[in-house]
Amino acid sequence: MTMNNQHLANDAPLEVQGVTKLFGDFRAVDDVSFSLPAGAIYGFLGPNGAGKTTTIRMILEIIKPTSGSISVLGHSSALAVRQRIGYLPEEKGLYKKMKCWAVIAYFATLKGLSRKAAKQRAFELLERYGLKDFATKPTEALSKGMGQKVQMLASIAHDPEFVILDEPFSGLDPVNQQVMEEIIRDMAKRNRTVLFSTHVMQHAERLCDRILLLAKGRKIFDGTVAEAKRIIPRRVRIETEDDITPLRELKEVVSIRPVDTISGGITAPTVAHWELEVRENTDPQAILQSCFARGIRLHSFNQSDPTLHEVFMRLVGPDAKEAAFR
Amino acid sequence: MKYIFLVAWREYAENAKTKGFWLGIFLVPIMILGSIQVPIWLAKKGTPVRYYALVDQSETLAPVIEARLERSHQKQVLADINGYVQKHTIPAGKSAALTPPSLDQFISQGGVVSYLKAVQARLKLGAPPFKAPRRDFQPVPLPAGMRADTDLATIVERLRPYLRGDQKLEVGGQWVSLSAAILIPRDIEKQIVRPPDKSADSTAGVTAIQYWSGNLADTKLRDEVEQSVNTEIRRREYLLRGMDAAAIRAVEQTYAPFASLNPKKEAGQEAVNSADIIRQWAPSAFVYLLWVAIFAVVQMLLTNIIEEKSNRIIEVLLSSVTPGELMMGKLFGIAAVGLTMVGSWMLALFGILSWKAGGASDVTSQVLTALQSSNLILMFSVYFLLGYLLYAALILALGSVCNTLKEAQSYMGVITMMMMVPLLTMSFIPKDPNGVLARVLSWIPIYTPFIMMNRAMADPPLFDLIGTLVLLIVATVGALWMAAKVFRIGILRTGQPPKLVEMLRWLKR
Repeated sequence: MTMNNQHLANDAPLEVQGVTKLFGDFRAVDDVSFSLPAGAIYGFLGPNGAGKTTTIRMILEIIKPTSGSISVLGHSSALAVRQRIGYLPEEKGLYKKMKCWAVIAYFATLKGLSRKAAKQRAFELLERYGLKDFATKPTEALSKGMGQKVQMLASIAHDPEFVILDEPFSGLDPVNQQVMEEIIRDMAKRNRTVLFSTHVMQHAERLCDRILLLAKGRKIFDGTVAEAKRIIPRRVRIETEDDITPLRELKEVVSIRPVDTISGGITAPTVAHWELEVRENTDPQAILQSCFARGIRLHSFNQSDPTLHEVFMRLVGPDAKEAAFR
Repeated sequence: MKYIFLVAWREYAENAKTKGFWLGIFLVPIMILGSIQVPIWLAKKGTPVRYYALVDQSETLAPVIEARLERSHQKQVLADINGYVQKHTIPAGKSAALTPPSLDQFISQGGVVSYLKAVQARLKLGAPPFKAPRRDFQPVPLPAGMRADTDLATIVERLRPYLRGDQKLEVGGQWVSLSAAILIPRDIEKQIVRPPDKSADSTAGVTAIQYWSGNLADTKLRDEVEQSVNTEIRRREYLLRGMDAAAIRAVEQTYAPFASLNPKKEAGQEAVNSADIIRQWAPSAFVYLLWVAIFAVVQMLLTNIIEEKSNRIIEVLLSSVTPGELMMGKLFGIAAVGLTMVGSWMLALFGILSWKAGGASDVTSQVLTALQSSNLILMFSVYFLLGYLLYAALILALGSVCNTLKEAQSYMGVITMMMMVPLLTMSFIPKDPNGVLARVLSWIPIYTPFIMMNRAMADPPLFDLIGTLVLLIVATVGALWMAAKVFRIGILRTGQPPKLVEMLRWLKR
């Protein structure tokens, strides 16, 4: 990176206070508050129609909140600090006839780079992320995924302190999703703050320091990924041919339910799969010991954290469905 | 301001790369050049030498026809040689200015050869030699084996394949096609129609002189022959009746001098000349240019907005610039494109006119003088800018609420219809430039630029000139203000275009 990092402010990159947005009678965003620490990768999760994009647009001052206040990089107006913010919108598009480097350079000049610096930076980025051959091609010659990468590069070409990415992974193949993750991590490493929205939980799980969960315009969860996972009780999976009734009496075990597995696997059909929901702060080893103590022979013992996906489904599952059918 | 410039610069640079832009730049100069050059070129090259066969069994009319055709040719030669002299001689002092000879003088003094000798001393160094034009109509003898004194019907039958182009004639070693045949019967005297003699009606349908030609469009030869024959016949008639042909000719040439005068011009210069007529009509050409320019540029603006909107580029832009900055940037960027286009047209117009301008009587130079001596160009620039801004405001509002070009085109149709009015009235306005129609339309801001441009050379009342201009400026500012309101909300909207009522509500925000 050629730009200096000296001017990085110590202000919280983003402070959202009781923000509400009404479209007519519809509450797109309802009294949402959160703040971002500098240098964090922040996941903005929620089902379709949760109000993610609306919130992002309000943060960027593209639309104004009905009530509440937003402060970006210590300013009440995002436009005042627009040169320090990068934004990749949800719906991606580029000027079709413009050359790739020219698009990146144009957006960079709008963010305050000189035309010469912008051009140099555009070529630099295109080369680093494997699009060198397309630098002088019009963007209409690109595939959708490549176009998206170009747009991503355009949104970070001015090396912003704070980047907002709306669904950066959608429409990318696994390889390019990897590249996108790399770009995001690169930025975090250099103490840039990244806020990205997604509904693919794996990305959030891999990348995020913190997540914010929205559903129907309301904040449902705001915290670290570990904290999120604690919402769902821990689970232990076991495989055994024996009767597992004795385990039901354990005080650590909340419930036991059978799990369907695909038959014809490596285990014999007589082997049953069970999922034990255990109390918080339970050491899974204690369950394992109890099994031995009660003579239950295990084919496998698996202690697993709930995935973010499960957390998500637990928290917004019913809402998400409702929203989908509305 | 910086952002406005950046947006404007991109608009300009990107549009300047489009084919449409360059097509626009070059098409108009080519059209101007074409409209000057093509008629000249056509006259010279377009009509090949026509060969005609003349059978005069009366044996009295052929020399008259030949003389007439030669005289027409000499007229052309004289016109050409005058142009040549004007172009290639050093203009001497006023006293010694060359006065071109009349046609009769020219012919009687020995034609091209002696005239060229007379001007030889004045020719500039390196002037190309004068090339006399070819004679358009050349007589040819009848094909071998045909006798001029046989029956006319037979001659026609024999000539038919030649006239159809099925057979060619040999002239000086070249094979040429026969364009026309003129057959004059022996008893032509008997067939002359005299007005009081109603018996002529009975001969209706019987042709005395036959003009055979497959080419019906070019009647020049036919007209020449007909006129020369009739002039000759009338001359004989005068003699027959004992009248003095010379006296009659003199009488025919008497006339009362007649002049058109313009009361608006200064005393002593009231005479209406062809330059004045050019002045009256020149604005029409400008109205057309104005219309084409505004329409082309406004289309460009619409396409650009729709592209940004349908591609959702708009959102990235709006995270960097305000809607106001974006709008102004677009407005100025495209205005610059338009001005470049219009500017190059004007340069081309002046360039071509100055290049092609010949002597003082030349139409080209008169147009040039009319342009230089008037404020047409200034008015054109002002009206282009204001007209563009007014229509751009409509387009910005329209473009911002539409999602696809297809959607926008259907609304654009309405705007196009409104824009058609000045084109339709374009040819009426100069006939009555300060009439009711012209005045009423002038006061409708969307038509003001075109109609006032149209009236430009007719000295419209100062009240109209200033009043409509003020109204136009007010309307433009108002339209831009409203467009900005609609633009900032519309540009982020997706889905159905809003209803008009809804858009009006946006204005209050």
